[in-house]
Amino acid sequence: MGGFRRYLLRRLAQAGFVVWCILTIMFLLFKLMPGDPTAIFVDNNFTEDMIQRQRMLWGLNDPWWVQYLRYLRNMLLFDFGHPFFQNESVAEIMLDKVRNTCLMIVPALLVSVVFGTLIGAYAGWTRGSVFERAAVATSLVLHSVPSFFVGILALMVFSYQLRWLPPGGMVPLGGPDTLWGMLASPDYWKHLVLPGLVLVSREITGPILLLRSSMLEVKGSDFLDMLRAKGLGEGRIVVHATRNALLPLVTYVAVMTGILFQGQVLLEIIFAWPGLGRELVQALTHLDFPVAQAALYLMALVTLALNLIADLLYGAIDPRVTYE
Amino acid sequence: MTGPRFLDVLGRNPSAAVGLALICGFVALAVAAPLIAPYGPFEVAFGPDRSVPRLAPPSARNWFGTTNQGMDVFSQLVWGSRVALTVGLLSALGSVVVGTLIGLVSGYFGGWIDDVLMRLTDVAFGIPFLPFALVVIAMAEPSLGLVILLVIFFLWRTTARVIRAQTLSLKERPFVWAARAAGAGHWAILFRHIAPNVLPLSFLYVAVGVQTGVMLEAALSFLGFGDPHAQSWGIMLNAAFRAGAMRTAWWWVLPPGVALSLFVMAIFMVGRAYEEILNPRLRAV
Amino acid sequence: MLALEGLEVRYATRQGEARAVDRVSLALAEGECLGLVGESGCGKSTIARAVMGILPPNGRIAAGRIRFRGQDLATLDPERSRELRGRRMALVPQSAMNAFDPVYTVRAQLDEAILAHGAMAAPARAERIAALFARVGLEIARLDDYPHQFSGGMRQRAMIAMAMALDPDLIVADEPTTGLDVVVQDQILQHIRSLHREQRKTMLLITHDMAVVAENCDRIAVMYGGRAVETGDRAVFERPLHPYTLGLCNAFPDLDDGGRALISIPGAPPDLVTPPAGCRFAPRCPFAENHCSEAEPALLEVEPGRHAACHRLDRIEEFRRRARDPDTWQTERKS
Repeated sequence: MGGFRRYLLRRLAQAGFVVWCILTIMFLLFKLMPGDPTAIFVDNNFTEDMIQRQRMLWGLNDPWWVQYLRYLRNMLLFDFGHPFFQNESVAEIMLDKVRNTCLMIVPALLVSVVFGTLIGAYAGWTRGSVFERAAVATSLVLHSVPSFFVGILALMVFSYQLRWLPPGGMVPLGGPDTLWGMLASPDYWKHLVLPGLVLVSREITGPILLLRSSMLEVKGSDFLDMLRAKGLGEGRIVVHATRNALLPLVTYVAVMTGILFQGQVLLEIIFAWPGLGRELVQALTHLDFPVAQAALYLMALVTLALNLIADLLYGAIDPRVTYE
Repeated sequence: MTGPRFLDVLGRNPSAAVGLALICGFVALAVAAPLIAPYGPFEVAFGPDRSVPRLAPPSARNWFGTTNQGMDVFSQLVWGSRVALTVGLLSALGSVVVGTLIGLVSGYFGGWIDDVLMRLTDVAFGIPFLPFALVVIAMAEPSLGLVILLVIFFLWRTTARVIRAQTLSLKERPFVWAARAAGAGHWAILFRHIAPNVLPLSFLYVAVGVQTGVMLEAALSFLGFGDPHAQSWGIMLNAAFRAGAMRTAWWWVLPPGVALSLFVMAIFMVGRAYEEILNPRLRAV
Repeated sequence: MLALEGLEVRYATRQGEARAVDRVSLALAEGECLGLVGESGCGKSTIARAVMGILPPNGRIAAGRIRFRGQDLATLDPERSRELRGRRMALVPQSAMNAFDPVYTVRAQLDEAILAHGAMAAPARAERIAALFARVGLEIARLDDYPHQFSGGMRQRAMIAMAMALDPDLIVADEPTTGLDVVVQDQILQHIRSLHREQRKTMLLITHDMAVVAENCDRIAVMYGGRAVETGDRAVFERPLHPYTLGLCNAFPDLDDGGRALISIPGAPPDLVTPPAGCRFAPRCPFAENHCSEAEPALLEVEPGRHAACHRLDRIEEFRRRARDPDTWQTERKS
């Protein structure tokens, strides 16, 4: 396992380097921002003295490298400071928003992966069938249609025309706000249906197309004949084939989750879902930089972590992978 | 790739043929926009009595109705195709050129150059694109040029990795050894012998680039971070969304959304057909 | 025990239906070893698949019967045929390299082979698997390895162990030594021979290696272009009756006469979608006459226990003599 440890260390070092680069880019970005951050919420009533005190408080008068090191330390400790306009600390807000985002994407991902796998595996197994062709054609269309337009359409039809489902939000005001409270609340599920289905309509296409093609590849392998020759039933053979075909999916799902985590800003806006992406957009419109910075950083971190997990998982599930 | 082979692939892929036809349609629309669009992109479509037709449903006068500011949706849609094509083409070309150059240099020279460039792509892959673009635009002025630059920044990394891998295998081929033996310099080998062989693959990423570029412009604009002076489909959707047109004026929402979807799908289908020509192995699957 | 009667197997291909096996009749008695030889693409592996009931989806038995202990495998319902596979008949496959599922351990796959045919307590299974492994000369400790950790020879031994898991009556060995190096080939063949000689298994041994057949088999069938062209006992190699067999023998080092030059048969195996009219070997046969391309020769009993399908059996003595001369095979044939 020495090989594995070395591999792990190398990957961790690589990830650390990327995090450092991204943090630095962000530092420059937020530093380069035109004007003085204090100017945003300072109005004419502020005296020069008060502004100076605020600048001192934020350490804006320190040399750049002191600011830079402090910034790095704070980011690594998830100490994001306080937002310009709210009382809670940014870290607390972030925790809330990350949870909300997960409340949208995790159920959608589960549905997409489970059903996408089944549909894709079956399509690959019954190559050439009507089912296979229909699944592929539908997936290709859903894959290429911009999902935010699908979201808008869904909203128009099911919320405004048919009035079946609430048009947005996560739970009504004053509803539950703990994780378990949400999961137990029918309101949450009702609000989840539309954005969830729109997400699924796009995310399910990946597993379908992937499983289908990897199933086709597995179907050509010699070991399937041997399984038949030793008298296994069709069911067991499909299990073997699927198990093999699933290998590339693991990496895919991890990467896909990362992309979803940063990419579902649009759906959160359309469905007024109080998640991380919506928070970022709102923070940017209000120029509330501590919040924006934290949101961007968390998105990058989650993506990187998931990519790392994807690589490590692949080694764990495919016995042929060796760490040289 | 020869003409007949291309037609052959189109024949077997009706979706690609439809996609190609759609793209031609959009190009025609963009080129002839001033002739087709009855109004300018930000022009109020005054009625005969100088009244402002706010949120008028589709009629013979305004084929796709009007917006809450009394602008002609059809005209905006036509002008929007110009923005889509511009953004798509420029960001695709930019990212493919940058990505191909980096991939070629990285793969061919190897060593520390390769290390540096590949770590650079790692970093680019680690940056969450849409949020990053939002932050950058929020810092600067939103403009079409910036959007295109951001898309290029986002897309070059994929092309670079693929081209690098291709270059790595190409540089071991006999014809490269032959060129080297004949005394060709590094850059001559790179651009005269290797580059022509990776170009077909690069072109595939033009399709990917156009598709992603248009999608991202639309997404950024929809979120309110687009260039307000370029009437794009994303800007239209953003205005309609903010005006609550989803509830009241479907004719304002559907045209830009459908146009965007058709355009993106068309590029996707043609890209797939091209990929099939590049990689005949896919044809069997 | 096993009898093919007029077996015809067809594959649906883009070009049309290919008759991979065309009206082949063979019989195999209890405890016998039948060797099927021929070039690749002659239909010998298809016979193995048909007998095992594992034809690919585009293949079907178009006519004829496969009798195994009184049942007709060609028409047996899929569940009954599954029950026979692995239990009453077992396969030692062509490419042991890829015949194991890469993501399960070898033990899990042996275990599965046993479990597929009824429950057996875990300790009993473990004991059985250990015994099987020991019998093929593999270390028990390697049981929990994954297939890719085995060498080619080890995998093929493990395959033999798996084939023996439920002590079947019939072993179908389909080119069991392909892709292995020569020393390992010998070891694998020894194991296969012992299955037949010591454990009295009935065996269908498929190979393109004449020496392997000559050493191991009681009876031999030579196939060409989906047809059986000659059958018989070992005498098939000593005194071939068919020009194709003559050619095959020339293409392999002679067991007794090591100094003779190898001569290969020019040309390629026939197209099975539109096979040549008349004798299928005629286009490549140095002795072919006009008549050969017109009518198909029947497989006739020439001597007791020996059949051959050739129009000019009467000139076989002359053919045998001329076949030794490399020039005979060099002459360009007019088709």
